[in-house]
Amino acid sequence: MKAFFKTALAAATLLGLFAGSAQAAPAPKVRVALIVESTVDDKGWCQSMHDAILAVQKKMGAGAMEYSHSEKMKPVDAGSAARQYASKGFDIIICHGAQYKNLVDEMAGVFPNTTFAYGTSANIGAKNVFTYTPFSEETGYLNGIIAGMVTKTGKIGNVGPVDGGDAARYIRGFQLGVQAANPKAAIRLAFTGSFGDFVKAGELAQTQLKDGADVLTGAAQQAIGALRAVAAAPAGIWWVGQDTAQLSIPEGSRVLAASGYNYASVVENLIAKRAAGTKGGESLPMQFSNGGFHFEYNAKADAKVLTPAVKKAVDKAREDLKSGKLKLDWKAVKL
Amino acid sequence: MSAGLMIYNVLCLAVPFSVALLLAALGENFNQRAGVFNLGCDGIMCMGAFLGFMVPFSLKATPWAAYGNLLGIGAALAVGAAMGVVFALVTVTFRASQGIAGIGLQMLGWGLAGTLFRHFVGGVTGVEGMAAIAIPGLSKIPFLGGVLFNHNALTYTALLLVPACWFLLYKTPWGLKVRAVGTHPRAADTMGIHVDRIRYQALMLGGAMAGLAGAYLSLCQAKMFSDDLVAGRGFIAVALVYFGRWSPLGILGGALLFSIAQSFQLSMQVWGIKFPYEFAVMLPYVLVIVVLALARKARQLGPTDLGKPYNREMRF
Repeated sequence: MKAFFKTALAAATLLGLFAGSAQAAPAPKVRVALIVESTVDDKGWCQSMHDAILAVQKKMGAGAMEYSHSEKMKPVDAGSAARQYASKGFDIIICHGAQYKNLVDEMAGVFPNTTFAYGTSANIGAKNVFTYTPFSEETGYLNGIIAGMVTKTGKIGNVGPVDGGDAARYIRGFQLGVQAANPKAAIRLAFTGSFGDFVKAGELAQTQLKDGADVLTGAAQQAIGALRAVAAAPAGIWWVGQDTAQLSIPEGSRVLAASGYNYASVVENLIAKRAAGTKGGESLPMQFSNGGFHFEYNAKADAKVLTPAVKKAVDKAREDLKSGKLKLDWKAVKL
Repeated sequence: MSAGLMIYNVLCLAVPFSVALLLAALGENFNQRAGVFNLGCDGIMCMGAFLGFMVPFSLKATPWAAYGNLLGIGAALAVGAAMGVVFALVTVTFRASQGIAGIGLQMLGWGLAGTLFRHFVGGVTGVEGMAAIAIPGLSKIPFLGGVLFNHNALTYTALLLVPACWFLLYKTPWGLKVRAVGTHPRAADTMGIHVDRIRYQALMLGGAMAGLAGAYLSLCQAKMFSDDLVAGRGFIAVALVYFGRWSPLGILGGALLFSIAQSFQLSMQVWGIKFPYEFAVMLPYVLVIVVLALARKARQLGPTDLGKPYNREMRF
C-alpha cells in the first residue's frame, strides 16, 4: 500500500511538472537567416530584403522571430554559411539572389526540414524550396510613364546591368510605360554587363547624357553610380529609381520617384506557409496587387516637373495594375 | 546625330575614362622597369579610392572642407606609397614570389578598404568630388577644346605626368638607375647602384600613383566609394604596361585606345546599333588581348630581369 502511494505521488508530481511546463512553453520562435552577396546597407538589392526582414521581426516581436544574416557571400562561400544555419536549426534560410540556385538545390536535399528560399526566380523547386519573383515590369511601367511625360529632349536613358532576371522585366516594363505616355520619346538603352560596377554605370550614364537624355533610370545596385552621374549633371536632368532608398540619399534631390520591392510580404508569406505545413515547392509572385511593391514620389520634387498630371497618370496605372485591369506583356517587348 | 558629333562625344568621354588606367599604368611602369611587377596594383587602387573618398567625406562639415579633395589625394598618395613599401619589403627584401605577393596585396587592399568603409561610413554615399575646370581660351578651340581642355584637375595632371614620367625615366640619373636594375641588376650593382634601394623607391612611386588612380575613381569619376569600385581596373593597368611596351607614351596610347573602345561600345549601344551587348561590353578587353598577342615580340623591349628577385650573394 505504501509503495502504491509512493508511485501515485511520483506520477502526480511528474504529471504536474509536465502540465506546468506545457502551460509555460512560449510560442515557437521562427528562426530566419539571410545570405547576400553584397552588404545589407547597399541602398539596393540586399538592403531591401534585410530591411524587410527587420520590419517583419519588429511586427512579430523579437521574441517571436530570430534573425541572422551573412554578407559578401559568393555562391562558392555561401554553402558553408547555409550549412551552419541549417545545422543550428534555423527554420528559413533566404539566399537572396538567383545565383544561389544550385547551392539551394543541394542544401535542400541535405536538410529536408529546413525551408530554403531564393530569388528572383519563377522556378518551382524541391518540396522545401520557395522561389520569389518580382513582376518588375510593373514598377518599370510606372517609372516609364514619369520619364515619358517629364522628358523635354525626347531622349530617355536606361542604364541596364544585364538583360536577365528582374532587370529584364524592369527594362521592358519601362519601355511599355514610356511608349504609353510618350510614343515619340526615344529610349537610349544600354548594358554595362555587370550588376556592381558603379564606375561603368556612371560612364554609361554620362554617355547617355552626352547623347541628350534628360531623364534616366537604372536597375541593380550599380544604379547608384549612374545616379551619381545624374546628380553631377547640370540642373534639369532627372532620375526615376528602382529603389526607394535612393530617395533618402543626398543625390535623392534628382530622383522624381522610386519604386521598391516590399520583401516583407514574401517573408511573411514564407513564415505563414511554413507554419501551415508547406515547406516549399511554390513560387511566390511580387506584384502591386499583393503588396509586393511600394512606390513613392519625391515629396520635395519640383511641382513644375512632377506635375499633378504626371501623378494622376501614374496613380491610375498603379490602381489598374492592382485591380488587374492593366496587364503588361513584357515578353512581347523586343529590345 | 552626325558622324562628326558622334566621334566628338566618344572622344570627349574617352579622355576622362582613361585617367585611372593611365595613372595606375604609369606607376606600374616604374615598378616593372625596376624589375618588379606588382599585381597588387588593384588593391592599392582600392585603398587610394577609399582614402580619396574618406578624407573629404569626413571633413564635409568642418572648416577644412574646402581642402578635402586635396587632402584626400594626399592621403591616397601616401597610402599607395606605404603599400608600395610593404610590397617592396616582401618581394625585394624577403624575395617572395612577386606574383603571389601581388595577389596577396590585391586581396589585402580590397578587403581592408571594404572593411574600413563599412566601419567608418556604412552604406553607399557620395561626395561632391572634383568638378571640371574649362581652361580659358583652350577650351574654346573647336573640337579639341571639348576633348582635351574641359576636364577636372586630375585629368590634366595625368596627361602632364606622361611627359614627366618619360623625362624622369629617360633623362635623369635616377631613371637610368631604375632601368639598369630592371635590366641587369648585377651589372648595376657592380657599378655601385644600390639595387634594393632603387627598387624600393620605384615601388613607392608606383604605389603612390596607383593610390592616386584610385582617388581619381572615387573623387572624379564615381564621386562615391564602394568596395567594388575599382572592379579589376588595376589588372588592366598591369596589362597596359605590356601593351605600351614599357614606355609612358605607349601606355598613354594603350589607355586611350582601351577607353575609346569602352566609350565607343557604350555609345554604340546608346545609339541603338543592333549588336549583341554581350559582345559590345567585351570589346575593350578583346582589343587588349588581341594587341598583346600581336605584340608578343615587344617582350624583348621590356626589362629583362622582370619578376626575378635579386640576390647579390647568389652565383648563377
